[in-house]
Amino acid sequence: MTLSPKRLLGGLLLAAVAGFALLAPLHGADPLKQNLSDALLPPGGAYPLGTDHLGRDLLARLAAGARLSFGFALLAAMAAALPGTLLGLLAALHGGWLERLLLGLADAVQALPALLLVVLVTAFAPGDFLPLYLGIALALWVEFFRISRNTAASILARPQVEAARLLGFGTGHILRRHLWPEVAPLIATLFAFAAGTAVTTIAALAFVGVGARPPIPEWGSMMTELLPYYAEAPLALLLPGLLIFLTVLGLHLLAGRGRA
Amino acid sequence: MSLIVENLRVTGPEGVLVRGASFALQPGQPLVLLGETGSGKSLLAQAVMGALPPGLAAEGRILLDGQDLLALSAKQRRALWGRRIAMLPQEPWAALDPSMRAAAQVEEVDRLVHGRAATEARALTAARLAHLGLEGAGRRYPFQLSGGMNQRVALAATEAAGAGLLIADEPTKGLDAELRDTAGRLLRAEAEAGRMLLVITHDVALARLLGGQAMVMLEGQVVEAGALPALLEAPQHAYTRRLIAAEPAHWAPWPHRGRGRSVVEGKGLFKRLGGQELFSGLDLAIGAGEVVAIAGRSGCGKTTLGNLLLGLTQPDQGTIRRGDGVKPLGLQKLYQDPLAGFAPHQRLGNGLEELQRRHALPADAARRLLPRLRLNPALLARRPSEVSGGELQRFGLLRALLLNPALLFADEATSRLDPLTQQEVMTLLGECVAERGTALLLVTHEMALAEKTAERVVRLPAFSEGKDIPPQALGRPA
Repeated sequence: MTLSPKRLLGGLLLAAVAGFALLAPLHGADPLKQNLSDALLPPGGAYPLGTDHLGRDLLARLAAGARLSFGFALLAAMAAALPGTLLGLLAALHGGWLERLLLGLADAVQALPALLLVVLVTAFAPGDFLPLYLGIALALWVEFFRISRNTAASILARPQVEAARLLGFGTGHILRRHLWPEVAPLIATLFAFAAGTAVTTIAALAFVGVGARPPIPEWGSMMTELLPYYAEAPLALLLPGLLIFLTVLGLHLLAGRGRA
Repeated sequence: MSLIVENLRVTGPEGVLVRGASFALQPGQPLVLLGETGSGKSLLAQAVMGALPPGLAAEGRILLDGQDLLALSAKQRRALWGRRIAMLPQEPWAALDPSMRAAAQVEEVDRLVHGRAATEARALTAARLAHLGLEGAGRRYPFQLSGGMNQRVALAATEAAGAGLLIADEPTKGLDAELRDTAGRLLRAEAEAGRMLLVITHDVALARLLGGQAMVMLEGQVVEAGALPALLEAPQHAYTRRLIAAEPAHWAPWPHRGRGRSVVEGKGLFKRLGGQELFSGLDLAIGAGEVVAIAGRSGCGKTTLGNLLLGLTQPDQGTIRRGDGVKPLGLQKLYQDPLAGFAPHQRLGNGLEELQRRHALPADAARRLLPRLRLNPALLARRPSEVSGGELQRFGLLRALLLNPALLFADEATSRLDPLTQQEVMTLLGECVAERGTALLLVTHEMALAEKTAERVVRLPAFSEGKDIPPQALGRPA
């Protein structure tokens, strides 16, 4: 990835959200501690960003939500990128029935809406977060698979690969020297987009009550909880949404108008 | 109609790139700019067009019908494109829209540039295509047409625009001799029809064909100018003389050394590609120290035949047998586009080191060969795209020689190089082959080159232009 003003801006946005997530605990509040007499306070005093309907410190909850979203997005994107890229390269190198099988599988997965897929997995897998990882990985690996397979297939057809084989080099060399240098930047771009999708997906699911549930401080579930109080405390409802927006915008700017 | 260029200079961050060129262009009298890559001839044309790369600036005067183009804004100059000045793109098969049928690309010029109605544009286009011998080709996509046909489609589009000044940049790049002659005749017809024609080329044969005036450029300077063909018959400047001597037809024939032990032998070869039979019942044996050329038009299966012998593809029928003691590694290949044969991200030195390690060669094996191939060791630190085409092709040769090959397959290995560079690389190739007793298989569309160098020339039957050519069978000259 080359550094462009847009990428720089994206990186700064992410750094700002990450900085917020890491520095907020210094304030010392517990994101789960309730204090009903302090419910729905505006920013100021002991609560720099105010409180929610149960009198919990919003700054602490938003920061905890950021740590959760960041960690989740990173892991979920990796869970999609790793198998997707490996299978894509494998399909291109192996060709034949394996390639056709994997392409068919990718088509089948893409025929289902991603959210539905995640909800389906949630119905079968136990726990709060495991089904989310599984579901998002299952929905997002297809893009990594397609991009790496198509890029690799077009490189494999080039004279540079024929020349390498004639010179006695094996598949490992072709993977390292010919495929990876061109596939890797595309995967990096796609990774940033996938992380953005993961952030919105976990928030959207939490909003409809799947995955992270109260009292876990998650941006999406915070919005669900605060929705009934939008008239009294609009800022409390706005803040989690704003953080989702800034995080995803940062990731997309970082990804750039990539060749993917 | 006239174009007068006075003391045109092109400067960039690295200094002066075109040092004061002056010429006048009249309708009916083509002007040919001859020179090698980097001589500034393309920059000169881009300056006239008003399409210099960013960071470069033109000074002097360019008078088109008395109007000084350099005094106009970039926007005003762009408004002249197509209407007053047209550029025939280099390698038209890459410049045409691959997702549009040929006729539509010509038609839209009539509709969008001249605002004609669709039916009128369609009729005009049909007439234009027919005039250029492209009946029936209009419904096809560029990838279904041969290189020569694509070029005529591009020419039809510039004709439709109706510009008085036509600039053609390397119009014969990648075309074989026959198509080159056709392209030359078509361009001359444009000039004879009353258009001003400026042709940029390194191809002396094309200049001879076009006639008119010529200017020879070297390092940004016009070193010689005069009427054709007199200028080519009695060149004054040493560089012009070298340029003419570099034409394969003027080369000294290579010595023939006879056939040694068999290196590879194909018997009864039959191959189809894209439903088209390329050859059948073909026998070809190559012995050590022998130079064999496969000649024929684009798309006739020359490269396929070479690839069969190397084991890169399999024949539909027939057998390929390597000689005793010849390993698969003993068959090596040089590519038409040297850049395409290298991993683009790897420094040349690192690539060679990997090759040495792979085959347990001495660590200085490549370095010892550098002087023989007249390559500067400093180039080892560069990536393939950072050296010239001639240098890279010599690196390709070096890479192959490290494995001490029994056969080198040079697939149009010099067809994209300037004439002088082509001569240099071919001479080097001949020397290496002679020193080591390596067999050399040349694929070339240039008959003169084949005749001067090879002991035997295998001519493949060719498709004829305009016939149904399966796109897969087209050795796309891109």
